[in-house]
Amino acid sequence: MGESSSKTYWKSLPQRSDGVIPLPIAGDEFPEVPASRGMEFRRRDFLAAAGFALGGMAFTGCSRAPIQKAIPYLVAPEAIVPGHAVHYASTCRACPAGCGLLVKNRDGRAIKLEGNAEHPVSRGGLCAVGQASILGLYDSKRLQHPMQQGKRATWDVVDGEIMRQLDALRASGATVRVLTRPTSSPTMRRVIERFVGSFTDAKHVTYETLSSSAIHQAHERTHGQSVLPRYLFDKAEVIVGFDADFLGTWLSPVTFTAGWASGRRADATNGTFSYHAQFESRLSVTGGKADCRVPVAPSQLGAVLTQVASAVAKKSGVAFLAGDVGTNGIDASLVEDLAARLWHARGKSLVVCGSQDVNTQVVCNFINHTLGNYGATLDIAHPASQGDAGDDAIQTLLNELEAGTVDALIMDGVNPVYDLPNGAAFATAIGKVGLVVSLADRISETSSHATFICPDHHYLETWGDVSFGDGLIGFQQPVMRPLFDTRSALESLSQWTGVPKSDRALVQETWGERVSWNKAIHDGFAKVSQQAVPVGAFQVGVVTPVPVAEKVRDGQLALVLYPKVAMLDGRGAANPWLLEMPDPITKVVWDNYASLSEKTAASLGVETGDVVRVTRSEPDSKATTIELPALVQPGQHDRVVAIALGYGYGESARFADVGPEWLEKKPTLGDNGLVGTNASPLLTYRAGQLRLSGAHVSVTRTGRKHTLATTQDYHNIEIPEALALPGMIRRRPMVRETTIAAYQRDGKLPERGHAVHHEDLGDLWPDDHKYEGHHWGMAIDLTSCTGCSACVVSCQIENNVPVVGRDEVRRKRIMHWLRIDRYYSDNHGETDVLHQPVMCQHCDSAPCETVCPVLATVHGEEGLNQQAYNRCVGTRYCANNCPYKVRRFNWFEYAHDDKLANMSLNPDITVRGRGVMEKCSLCVQRIEEARIEAKKQGRAIADGDIKPACQQSCPAGAIVFGDMNDPESAVSKLIASGRHYRMLEETNVKPSVGYLGLVRNRDEIEDDTHHG
Amino acid sequence: MVSVGATIHDPLILGDKTPSVVTKDICSSLDRGPALSWWVAITISSTMLLLGLVAVGYQVATGIGTWGLNNTVGWAFDITNFVFWVGIGHAGTLISAVLFLFRQKWRTSVNRAAEAMTIFAVICAGIFPLIHMGRPWLAHWMAPYPNTRGPLWINFRSPLVWDFFAISTYFTISFVFWYVGMIPDMATLRDRLKAGWRRSVAGFLSLGWNGSFRTWLHYETVYLLLAGLATPLVPSVHTIVSWDFATSVIPGWHTTILPPYFVAGAIFSGMSMVLSLMLIARKTMHLEDYITVKHVGAMCKILIATGGMVAMAYLTEFVTALYSNSEYEQFAFMNRALGPLCWSYWIMVGCNILSPQILWFKAARSNMLVVFVVTIFINIGMWFERFVIIVTSLHRDYLPSNWTGYAPTWIEIATLVGSFGLFLTLFLMFCRFIPVIAIAEVKGVLSHGRK
Repeated sequence: MGESSSKTYWKSLPQRSDGVIPLPIAGDEFPEVPASRGMEFRRRDFLAAAGFALGGMAFTGCSRAPIQKAIPYLVAPEAIVPGHAVHYASTCRACPAGCGLLVKNRDGRAIKLEGNAEHPVSRGGLCAVGQASILGLYDSKRLQHPMQQGKRATWDVVDGEIMRQLDALRASGATVRVLTRPTSSPTMRRVIERFVGSFTDAKHVTYETLSSSAIHQAHERTHGQSVLPRYLFDKAEVIVGFDADFLGTWLSPVTFTAGWASGRRADATNGTFSYHAQFESRLSVTGGKADCRVPVAPSQLGAVLTQVASAVAKKSGVAFLAGDVGTNGIDASLVEDLAARLWHARGKSLVVCGSQDVNTQVVCNFINHTLGNYGATLDIAHPASQGDAGDDAIQTLLNELEAGTVDALIMDGVNPVYDLPNGAAFATAIGKVGLVVSLADRISETSSHATFICPDHHYLETWGDVSFGDGLIGFQQPVMRPLFDTRSALESLSQWTGVPKSDRALVQETWGERVSWNKAIHDGFAKVSQQAVPVGAFQVGVVTPVPVAEKVRDGQLALVLYPKVAMLDGRGAANPWLLEMPDPITKVVWDNYASLSEKTAASLGVETGDVVRVTRSEPDSKATTIELPALVQPGQHDRVVAIALGYGYGESARFADVGPEWLEKKPTLGDNGLVGTNASPLLTYRAGQLRLSGAHVSVTRTGRKHTLATTQDYHNIEIPEALALPGMIRRRPMVRETTIAAYQRDGKLPERGHAVHHEDLGDLWPDDHKYEGHHWGMAIDLTSCTGCSACVVSCQIENNVPVVGRDEVRRKRIMHWLRIDRYYSDNHGETDVLHQPVMCQHCDSAPCETVCPVLATVHGEEGLNQQAYNRCVGTRYCANNCPYKVRRFNWFEYAHDDKLANMSLNPDITVRGRGVMEKCSLCVQRIEEARIEAKKQGRAIADGDIKPACQQSCPAGAIVFGDMNDPESAVSKLIASGRHYRMLEETNVKPSVGYLGLVRNRDEIEDDTHHG
Repeated sequence: MVSVGATIHDPLILGDKTPSVVTKDICSSLDRGPALSWWVAITISSTMLLLGLVAVGYQVATGIGTWGLNNTVGWAFDITNFVFWVGIGHAGTLISAVLFLFRQKWRTSVNRAAEAMTIFAVICAGIFPLIHMGRPWLAHWMAPYPNTRGPLWINFRSPLVWDFFAISTYFTISFVFWYVGMIPDMATLRDRLKAGWRRSVAGFLSLGWNGSFRTWLHYETVYLLLAGLATPLVPSVHTIVSWDFATSVIPGWHTTILPPYFVAGAIFSGMSMVLSLMLIARKTMHLEDYITVKHVGAMCKILIATGGMVAMAYLTEFVTALYSNSEYEQFAFMNRALGPLCWSYWIMVGCNILSPQILWFKAARSNMLVVFVVTIFINIGMWFERFVIIVTSLHRDYLPSNWTGYAPTWIEIATLVGSFGLFLTLFLMFCRFIPVIAIAEVKGVLSHGRK
């Protein structure tokens, strides 16, 4: 070191020479504070620094705030007027039914889905699943970009890699499988076919848990064509359902409900009132509406159908060997009566069967054939376009996967790991495939195993089509720009086929000149000519009687897995609106459960809320067990345990923090960390068919409890016997019933036995309300209301009603403005279900209005009971004094900050804060919208201009809103009908909402006045 | 030394005290430092108060959802507590004003404490309408005052507005009446205390009292006038409170019997609370000569009378329901007595109807322990009476689909405990700083000097 220091280095000549001051070095070029002063800071320096700092601050403070594109349009986009809603026609893809949609867009974003009233199939209705599917668009858990090996990737990279691998596979003639749900989209089918066709060994495999494969196969046997008929319920005068929940979940419930309801208009002068019998093992929405409902065990279903077939055959004179199917505990006269009714209405009757047993379906076809219903109420020449799911195909695929012979697997819209009984095996088997591509829009049980996830658009962001079989095509158009870096599945598959095309081009290419494109997109549907399917003559030879299936062993129960309204096979499992929609029958939210009949529950010593263990032990496989809470269900067959599918979905773990946080909060998720329990492991395969029901299970108590959250505690329309005075009418007159025979004879509902006619003492403030202009009112037809709850979800979306979580519902604090009351009543030992939608009744003498100390709830000039949220201080006096208990209080701050999900909020509606009361407004925003529109056009508001969200979505057309001051309005005419009544009329609160009594097609007159 | 009057009337104050003895007796507990029992009591009561404060703070910060209420039962503990505490207050006004007008001289021993109790009870009561609001920070909207929110005004048809006026009037009058009655005693304190801040305060509060004839004349006139003003409040306040329910459409609430029923109940509960507290004070502060068995006996008789009225009301409600021919009304009362919350009904009947019956016996009325136990029962029973009226009517009304249950949360229970904490803390403070017996008035009913 010392040596080196003796050496002199120099950079320049001046530096080398002594006595020359070196130039300042770079780091200290502008010394401001002379270093020698140390810590000392002179006054002048301070002033200089302060002046500089102040000047600097003043200078930067003078700059303008950054402008974030707040520039008005120079040329405004044609369609977007701020504050003005635009509706685009499209097609709902939330389930395979494909109902017509009108998508309400505000300021460039979709905010509400409505049924398209002009759509020939759905006729304006839209079910809860369809309504709620808009939340999927704004789902923050949706994949926002493609993924490769679980990591974010770009489309270029993903496409490059996939196509490189696929090209290699093409060249080598490798095995490629495409796994999707059965699709009714012709373009999708075409694109998949083209993709599959580009390989030498490729196959398109479809499967569906809610398979209707047996119907296809039965028609293949009887008519030589594997088709799913189109069912025309509106043309049927006698409808018999065998375990087919066609008003709730079966195939196309919206269409079927519309058709079913149109045949049951009690006030129509020339129409007939259809007769509906339902044989089912659990109590479904459809069974609840039936005129005659018979509980049968799943094992007896085919036998009962055979009994009916035999009786019908006898009437027609066709030979039919019924064999010995026994009576199955069913009154022979009932079968005889049913056969007589069917025969009487031959050609105008319809027998539908939801069984997944081909032989049973064949018998069903036989009945319809014998009655001459084919071509009348069932159309197989123009069948529904849903292809055969082919239940065995998925098992074949699984075998192939396990054998390791599949080289590439492309999956779209499926989640086999979740919904196959052997899902775990599927997950393992996927591991043996070299290239697994998922088009799923989220990370699910299955897509998490994929090499690549190429997320599809939400269906509202993409082009598409759906065929209804009879030449009607529904079109799907993007209603807003895709939110994320996703890509239509059509485009992805085309890309990988080597013919990259936009989804729009692909759909257009399918239809070409066959449709008028602009009109089709404008309308949302188009009609093309459709060739009839050549149907063979009915093969009587294939019809064999179905004996009673294997008897359930003692101590065991027959398992019935069923799709639940709104949840279906799990499509709604990530949607909080659907999870919080009360089940139409049980009124339970946020859970599935094992339903047991009262007798069975008692014999097992089980009560509602006891966690039970459901075990299926088949001789040839190891036992499968799931645990879930029990629910005692009236009207269910005694030898049955029924469990809803679609729960225990992996993604439902996201709902851990739903609901307000506080000391005594209880979690929304169950012990498994999910919402409900997945029942798919209990699905069975038998004779190549996926079976939802029929497996034998044992049910045992675990000793644990799990309180189910229900929106209703007391289920009967009659008050408890112990609390009734002797001779007192126990039945409360909320839902009034009659039979069609009595109604057509009397033209009115039966009087109640002890009806007390109160003297009209007038009003306390008679001059308060004059109703000189409009007087809004509503009439709800309880005959056509099925309880499907489409209106409940529609109202929730329209009015920004918050989701509160399981614990809050358990505490009876659900926020729904519109609820559907469900009562059970006893019909000679059988259980009747009564549904009654109840929202704010908008009383003319409203008890809530007089008691509010701060005038937060006041009466509008047009009869609306209005709630001013800003003024409300939250005394809850109004809610206490409401005889209908329709007011909803914000017990906590329920609204939460989810920027994406909040994009679905209706901008016309205030999001309510904590501590204020809220309730149904009869969609006052829609009234005002119609008023403005009418004023602009210089006309009066016409009847039908205003449809509140509930009315708009109702598939049955049960809800009618209008001006009661206009004698010609639809609502006035309904009010004038003999079925009209108002709830709690005797309290003189004068509700503006009224009900049309429930009419059933029964022979004897219902004793509405019977004593307890 | 037996007085002449003693042969005709039992003396109201025992021990033949002279006025100066009275002053000394009553003020002695103020002169002394607080006793250990007081410290124990204040520790317990302020802990209860603190618990209540925490509960209310949490509830206001988080939301009414922290209570066990639901869409069907919109009021439960909150309004039960409110009506309970308002009722408690009524005995004070009755004793101080009504008995004053009726020249019931025995009232002098208990009126000060009873009035203090009224004020503290009304303070406790007033908290509940405030905190039961969803947005209590907007409570001032209940008052009709000119504002900038356009033509927004309050709803004079709402019984809650009537309530607001009733309670605020009640508090104002009771407070003024109490204070005016205290002026001579404040002068007594001023004259007894050594110079210091306490004397300054007592001096200020005595408003320059000089004990002159003119002063007494004015004082007596004002006191009489105030008694006249306060008297109508005894029936009116609880009548108005009952209208919260009576004007509604809910079966079990919608009944015209509620006003007299509530007033009788209020006096019943208030009198039992006065007795409960006075029996403790009598024992701990050695005031047996001032609050005699005779006083206790008189109050017990009021309990029997008002308890009988309440029992009559319970019965009448059933008869009215039966006669009404309204299925909802009939069910409401069947459900009250036999429904899922019937335990609360039978607690109410047991405590309010059965327990006071023992007071028919003079031996029982003279046994302070028996009286104390009965008054505690009545306090419990009267709380449950309000719970029964509010909750059992709401939880099962018209539509069976709406029927729910109700169970309080810990927050609600802590709030109730806290209200007792507040009441007791205020009362203990009162015992420490203000003469618990009206010295000047008691002196007027002494036997001394009457012979």
